[in-house]
Amino acid sequence: MRPLLLPLLACAAATAVAQAPQFAPPVRLKAGDKFLGEGRLYPSPVLHDLDGEGRVDVVVGDLIGVLTVAPRANAAAGTPAYGSETKVLAADGQPLDFDNW
Amino acid sequence: MSPQFVDFDADGQLDIVAGIFDGSPHVSRGSKQGWQKPEQILGRDGARIVLNAFWNFDTKKWDSTHAYDAPGHEGEAHATSTLAFDVDGDGDLDLLLGDHESGRVFWRRNDGAPGKPAFDLVNQPVTAAGARIDVPGTVATMRLVDWNGDGKQDLACGSMGGSFGDGEGGGVWVWPNVGDGKAAAWGAPIELIARSQQDHVGDAPARPDAGLYMDFGDVDGDGDLDLLVGAYSHWRASPKPLDAAQQERVAALQAALKDCDARFQQVLKEVNDGLGDAAGEARSKLYTERYKARQSDFQAIGKDRSAAQKELDTLVPPRQRKSFVWLYENLAAKKNAAPAK
Repeated sequence: MRPLLLPLLACAAATAVAQAPQFAPPVRLKAGDKFLGEGRLYPSPVLHDLDGEGRVDVVVGDLIGVLTVAPRANAAAGTPAYGSETKVLAADGQPLDFDNW
Repeated sequence: MSPQFVDFDADGQLDIVAGIFDGSPHVSRGSKQGWQKPEQILGRDGARIVLNAFWNFDTKKWDSTHAYDAPGHEGEAHATSTLAFDVDGDGDLDLLLGDHESGRVFWRRNDGAPGKPAFDLVNQPVTAAGARIDVPGTVATMRLVDWNGDGKQDLACGSMGGSFGDGEGGGVWVWPNVGDGKAAAWGAPIELIARSQQDHVGDAPARPDAGLYMDFGDVDGDGDLDLLVGAYSHWRASPKPLDAAQQERVAALQAALKDCDARFQQVLKEVNDGLGDAAGEARSKLYTERYKARQSDFQAIGKDRSAAQKELDTLVPPRQRKSFVWLYENLAAKKNAAPAK
């Protein structure tokens, strides 16, 4: 196998600049009475108003191709609260599934 | 996968674009009836888009191609993340492809038109500030975000790191778009979340450690961009004091685990040593037969190892590994990060 990286190439990451923003210590989000994404294989959240009601929900994908949605349960201001996760459904009423691997 | 809601086919309905572990980008088209069955996004040659590594559905094995490499390409890249984005500012959506095996990002130019894509057949490396983008810890996901509020879409990447708590974990960076407002050009990265050292000791996880998949939004309504980060957390409960006898027992159990591992390797070696010159299907068949013949040995080793580990866990807290979605609340309040210039 050929070498993965050219060792002499400069890497953009090496020049990362120190302009880090200030974040509060991270907290685990909850969806209903459970932690959001708990136990999922590589959960990948995306903020999106899935139900079109004007509040931004959290859609969570994962390694095996399942999508769930945790609906925003409170107003847009303040600490966010989300309802329990349910599977995102496809047009045929079945869970939307990106698992063709 | 990290889903992206975007009108990929320019029909006025949002679609879901996602790279998945088979090595290709996919799209679930949105319609008035709902989301359609995901399909592979194809290049203008009609073939699925890949970097190098991909799951071959015909042979049902991992495969590789270098048919789409740009000149000078090195190594085996594996696209597991995708973003649809108009990189060159020509009015249609190109594809950014993140490499799960390294920190590289590539793109496929769309030579078609909105709704009629014709993706080029070369995976071009994406550069930033004159150098190739190299996400520390390999690419987990990519997102577009106007981080510095200049009206242009910046490129954010989250990284994998040691997925099982091994070594350094993942982090999050953003490469500001310093282009002319039409074609994108990326500047030097800003570190948003430093890589985890994966060494937290406590009763609960402290942060997302490995496989960081993030998104951005003002979730608390204070006017700045917060981060949501899905990831694995690794932590170990605080160790309890052990008396001399317990310390001795810990040493014995750790030795027993090492012995189990050595026994396992020895049996595996004996299985492989008997394969001789057999090749292809014959080799696979012989391997299966020889493995099954030693199944009782493997089971016995597994039983011994499980018992030793179980007892050890009562004396030394084991490493915990669990996935969650975390909120990083931005404290900048309407300022965001310092603009990157």
